[in-house]
Amino acid sequence: MTAVRVDQLVVSRGDRVLAGPVSFEVPATTTLGLRGPSGAGKSTVLRALVGLLPAPLCATGAIHVLGVDVASTGVDLPALRARAALVGQTPVVFPASILANAVFGIRHVSRLPRAELRDRAQAALTEAGLWDEVADRLDAPADQLSIGQRQRLCLARALALEPELLLLDEPTSALDGAATAAIEAALAGLRGRRSVMIVSHDPAQLARTCDDVVTIGGTTGDGQRSAAAPAAAPA
Amino acid sequence: MPLPTAPAALRAPARVRWVPLGTFALAALAVVGVAAVVAFLVIGVRSGPLDWVELLSSSTWDPPRSRFGGAAMIFGTAAVAVVAVALAAPVGWAAAIAIVELAPVRWRRLLRAASELLAVVPSIVYGLIGIAFVRPLVAGAAGVPGGDSLVAAALVLAVMVLPTVVAVSVDALAGVPAPVREAGAACGLTRTEVIRSVVLPAARRGMGAGLLLGLARALGETIAVFLVVGRADGRFPTSPGDVLTRLVRPGQTLTTKLNGPESILAGTAGGHWAALCGLGLLLLGAVAALTVIGQRRAGVEGAGRRRRRPTRRSVGGGMGRRSWPGVGRVARDRLVRAGLSCALAANLLLVVAISVVVLTRGAAALRPGFWWSPSVGASGGGIRDQLVGTALVVGVAGVLAAPVGLGLGLVMTEYAGPGLSRWLRTLTLTLGGMPSILLGLWGYWLFSIRLGWGRSWLTGSILLAAVAIPPVVIAVASSVAALPKERREAALACGLRRDQLVRSVIVPQALPGLVTGTLLGLARAAGETAPLLFTAAVFSGAPALPSGIRDSPVSALSTHIFTLAQDSAEPGAAHTAWGAALALVVVAGALVLAAVPARRRMERNR
Repeated sequence: MTAVRVDQLVVSRGDRVLAGPVSFEVPATTTLGLRGPSGAGKSTVLRALVGLLPAPLCATGAIHVLGVDVASTGVDLPALRARAALVGQTPVVFPASILANAVFGIRHVSRLPRAELRDRAQAALTEAGLWDEVADRLDAPADQLSIGQRQRLCLARALALEPELLLLDEPTSALDGAATAAIEAALAGLRGRRSVMIVSHDPAQLARTCDDVVTIGGTTGDGQRSAAAPAAAPA
Repeated sequence: MPLPTAPAALRAPARVRWVPLGTFALAALAVVGVAAVVAFLVIGVRSGPLDWVELLSSSTWDPPRSRFGGAAMIFGTAAVAVVAVALAAPVGWAAAIAIVELAPVRWRRLLRAASELLAVVPSIVYGLIGIAFVRPLVAGAAGVPGGDSLVAAALVLAVMVLPTVVAVSVDALAGVPAPVREAGAACGLTRTEVIRSVVLPAARRGMGAGLLLGLARALGETIAVFLVVGRADGRFPTSPGDVLTRLVRPGQTLTTKLNGPESILAGTAGGHWAALCGLGLLLLGAVAALTVIGQRRAGVEGAGRRRRRPTRRSVGGGMGRRSWPGVGRVARDRLVRAGLSCALAANLLLVVAISVVVLTRGAAALRPGFWWSPSVGASGGGIRDQLVGTALVVGVAGVLAAPVGLGLGLVMTEYAGPGLSRWLRTLTLTLGGMPSILLGLWGYWLFSIRLGWGRSWLTGSILLAAVAIPPVVIAVASSVAALPKERREAALACGLRRDQLVRSVIVPQALPGLVTGTLLGLARAAGETAPLLFTAAVFSGAPALPSGIRDSPVSALSTHIFTLAQDSAEPGAAHTAWGAALALVVVAGALVLAAVPARRRMERNR
């Protein structure tokens, strides 16, 4: 069973190709890294998977996510996004408490009672490696957290949905060494339990966290724009 | 390996159907309202024989003989508005430049707020000031008995238009990025040269918009003009040289004609009514066009606006430097700065003078008993019933305007496509620029006559809600526009449906805008007179609180002042009118002040 299957995906604005063509697969419960120079369209590809491309951009090619054909009409995208949660590059916290941020998604997609929501939040915050730091101030405003903590809060918000697939866009690009280590530790805990895709420009990080890495948008030796080529899997 | 799947209960996102249904219903209400005003005028025009050629070209207005020529009123309107803007624009522009470019940064907000104080004063109060000061001034200077004249109206309007010019120009100037200024200064330009060659070319479009919006305001103003223009029909200049003489003589404008007794006497069909409605259409067309063009230029329109190619004049402003023989660069710089500062000082002086006048003349209101005792006879007593009536009409207007404005703002920013959104924005601006006398006539025709409500406080609330809706919509739309796109994406990435996004992310984001917009809208509505005159208010004989809807008028502050002001020869009436004016300024000012904390919070959230 594959969590994601992408075949010849091209994202373009009018005549201009912004990303691709790219093809890859994410087998269930594995972690795939997406690598490439900045501007290659890594984040764009990730957004195309859950139909979050901004208006003038359009995607062609086949995209299957969790058995759903994303390109077909009439797809229930919100339901898909609740199963394949995306965490953006900049840590976004809503103007509310830490707890409210952690349950923001699950509160909308389910009708769980309040107590159960809190349990979900605790589990997700623990999984994201943030619980110990915020357990005593869950009702504090989320914007009091540091950038690194916010990024983990965003991760927890996605994990609270118990998603089958997690899509992470440059999860550590805004962070310093210690915060990066905290995120990577959280990712290590997910490995083998969930399907994950990570976009990063840091090959060393992908080597540490991923089962397989795909490179997009680079130029090959003879100056041709390369199609996606699976890179050697790290040991 | 099977995928871990969650229980089915988790996968049934709750749809919130009332969100789109509610917002669309509320937005539709506003759209229908504007369409109804236009339809009312068109129906009115078609209700009787109307000769458009005569209306536009003849200056004979003689209802008994069915002669309906509007040229004199069109001339009056144009003359009054053009003179007002010609006086206000240079002062307003210069003051705006002084505020943004010369004043210390920490004073900027305060200076801007001070110059906007002029906008808090309701037009009926400007009318009183016109009667007390401008008329005697014109009478003395031009030898006009009484001083009622087009130029008196223009002078009053100039002061009323000034805050619009200043506010829009300050926004345009503040929008020029600091590094651009710095780059200019780094080339060795003086402060004045930076302003002229770097800042003004970039801000010129927005400053031009200030002029257009000021002109729209001047064209649509009714009450202040009504009290000082003289309302003499048929005064059309016979030769080009005659134009100046006509300016210092009594005249008539479109709004003052519509606000006069004829609108009631003409019935609601027939040639006379058709002619009045024709004048209304002309007025609406002119004001709407200026408002929409002005707002688009000011950048409210934002998306989809055409960028003008930079012309030689707009980029090369500093190339062909005019030489002032005998004056060095530094001296010239000082001279210009002194001139700009004088304009700002004049602006502030005006604010101080008007405050002093309202405070000293309105001494009656400084006596607490004036606020809570009922009025007695023609001019005595206090203003208790008027305060209660105004509070009722304005309060209910707020209750109506806030949800409709929120709905329209949400549809405009969230649900509508770019085309519909642009169209709704134009509609909002049209409603915002609509002369309130047209709202009054529409309310009179629809509610008082057609629905048979007679004079009803509820009509007043509905009409004042229409006055308050545009500021609400604009404020809601700009709060929503300030939502970071990452936050929207983060919410969608959790699987929220659009209605959930609106309820949980967009509406909370819009709330400060809703509060600010409603308070500012109500501050404007509280000072409105024209919509209430025929529809909702009586001078005396109404109970403080009405008991029903049909034939249930109230007394209101603005109409109370209006009636007293017409009778200003009697000292008692003037005394009470000024006292009520101070009370009205206090009410409007309190609403504006209450909006400040909400606005602060909104700015902090950005």
